[in-house]
Amino acid sequence: MSLRRLAALAWLAAAGAASAAPVAIRWHADREPVAVEVEGLPAAALRAGAEQGADIFPVFAEQAHASGVPPMLGTWSVAEGRLRFEPRFPLVRGVRYRAEYRGAGAPPVVSRFELPADTAAPTTTVVQVFPSAAVLPENQLKFYVHFSAPMSRGDIFTHVSLRGENGKPIELPFLELAEELWDPRMTRLTLLIDPGRIKRGVKPLMDLGPALEAGKAFTLVIAADCRDAAGRPLRAAFEKKFRVGAADRTPVDPKTWTITAPKAGTREPLQIDFGEPLDHALALRTINVAAGQASLVGETTLGAEERTWRFVPDQPWRAGSHRLVVGTTIEDLAGNNVGKAFDVDVFERVERRIETPTVEVAFAVK
Amino acid sequence: MKSFPLSAVSVLALALVAPVAQAGVTAGMKEGKPAFKSMNQLAFGPEGVLFVADTKAAAIVAIATGDTKAAAGSAAVKAEAINEKIAALTGTAADQILIEDLAVNPISRRVYLAVSRGRGPDAVPLLVRIAAGGQPEIVSLDKVMFSRAVLPDAPSDKTAGEGKKARNPRLEAITDIAFADGRVIIAGLSNEEFASSLRAIPFPFAKVDGGTVVEIYHGAHGAFETRAPVRTFIPYKVGKEQHVLAAYTCTPLVQFALNDLKPGAKIQGKTIAEFGNRNRPLDIIVYQKDGKDYLLMANSARGVIKVATEQIAGAAAITKRVADTEGLKFEKIDWKDVAQLDRLDNKFAVVIRAEANKSLSLDTFALP
Repeated sequence: MSLRRLAALAWLAAAGAASAAPVAIRWHADREPVAVEVEGLPAAALRAGAEQGADIFPVFAEQAHASGVPPMLGTWSVAEGRLRFEPRFPLVRGVRYRAEYRGAGAPPVVSRFELPADTAAPTTTVVQVFPSAAVLPENQLKFYVHFSAPMSRGDIFTHVSLRGENGKPIELPFLELAEELWDPRMTRLTLLIDPGRIKRGVKPLMDLGPALEAGKAFTLVIAADCRDAAGRPLRAAFEKKFRVGAADRTPVDPKTWTITAPKAGTREPLQIDFGEPLDHALALRTINVAAGQASLVGETTLGAEERTWRFVPDQPWRAGSHRLVVGTTIEDLAGNNVGKAFDVDVFERVERRIETPTVEVAFAVK
Repeated sequence: MKSFPLSAVSVLALALVAPVAQAGVTAGMKEGKPAFKSMNQLAFGPEGVLFVADTKAAAIVAIATGDTKAAAGSAAVKAEAINEKIAALTGTAADQILIEDLAVNPISRRVYLAVSRGRGPDAVPLLVRIAAGGQPEIVSLDKVMFSRAVLPDAPSDKTAGEGKKARNPRLEAITDIAFADGRVIIAGLSNEEFASSLRAIPFPFAKVDGGTVVEIYHGAHGAFETRAPVRTFIPYKVGKEQHVLAAYTCTPLVQFALNDLKPGAKIQGKTIAEFGNRNRPLDIIVYQKDGKDYLLMANSARGVIKVATEQIAGAAAITKRVADTEGLKFEKIDWKDVAQLDRLDNKFAVVIRAEANKSLSLDTFALP
């Protein structure tokens, strides 16, 4: 602040606010940190305001129903001859803010403020849903919905639905966890079919019946009113149409995979054909390549319908024996693991359980 | 919420007369500002220690709240539109406030809430306490005694995904936590491999070892829900042995012994009740009335139900699929739209209820 301005403010203070500039509230939402200021106060009022904070200069975020809501948290100070309030949390669009200066012996000065409404067009989309295959097993367990930008959580199950051939939503198909299964960036949502709604064996389900049935077509719908992290809807609804085939109750067995080994001295991809689609996230995360004690570093990608896996090493392949190291937690679309079908009765068939965290398949690079 | 189990109250009483045990609570803690990426579940342990589950950091943080002055008498807690009041305090809209969990400090009887300000990845986790008069206040965590246990198989920093620059998107959602017999019990579910886990980590967190991961099998649905996640659970002594009563979706109640939580153990749970379909259990507490113990369970569709625990010791296991309800007899309690539940004291429960106008109210009800 300039000395001249200081001097002017000092004069104002000395002359008394009532007779000098009127007391006014100014919002500085474009400043960092955001501030609300009262100007035109004498020095004593500034001091009192900074000391007594919300008693003299409360700032409110107005709410729909609650009466007697508390003022916003923040800090009060005197800066540049004004009483300044800096909120502890950033201002939010769509909230009506109200600042009140309650000086002694005068009616309160009230000022309202709102951030400009968000007029930007929606940009966020559903990029992909996995599994990408058009035919899914009757005991399909999981969907991954990938969004182009971070999303909002808290009511996702009101925006996703599974519809039958008549377009009607299937009742309660998903395991509705209040926590919602997002990744840390909140661009990927995991939807689990409620295990109680997955058809098992030959006996029909009681109560609600299975969510998916072989021979029928279904559509997974992500509604456009699903909000992204900025509070905007999606650019468009997303539909994944698929047909349902036979149930898969066969454990995953890496020994049956077709491995196409690369040539030594090249950076050709190592390729695996699983012979069936596998779970997208787990196929990317749980398969590693090792030579001796070392894990190889490189780039992993999945092919069409998550049936194939490719690995391009950062360094050229060396001749010799290599190993695929596969986590036994890897799953196919029905949640079958290595050595364990999803719905195996664990009480009677405990001996079938695989206790090792990984299994290995050897291959040679020549 | 995870309420303080009745049986642990006696442990606490023991601790208060045993100075050695008392000193142990802050063992391994340091003073400072614990970092949180999220606050998802709360549970009180002994002597005002609050356990906070941070799903995004795959960690449990123990905070010595210092809130250890015993409550004088029984005072009802009431706060209308609590989500709006927290929104007002933090300068946002009510729909940007998510109340993740509620827990009552069993000593001071003060109500704590785990809150997210915001719904996106940048949401700010806040610990909120309800002050006298029903106004929320933010609990300062700038300088507290705390310790942290990182879950044993927390997601590694190893990247996964398409391409080299991809991040590791795996997380394990912590669906409930509780404290019993010197251990923090943690129920979780991964957002990738379909496996639910239940861990027991000894407290104080002097040394975070591998913990215990168990898979729980229950037979009511054949093998249908063998890997389904525990939605909510409560430690409870059956006879002399500490048990865990765990509620699953659609809605079996499963019992198993806490001492069976051993590394690598495969526990066979005993299904003792089916409370009906189209339903999710939300919270479960245990309380005493007229010399008898009762469970009180809040549900998404079936309202609040009350179960006399004297039925548990002799309960037969449910071993086949049932049409609707079976096993332990229960009584429906006329508390509408309860989303969160904890025991305030021996006579009252604190709930968070959704009102018709979509605001959330904090209320106190006499235990039925």
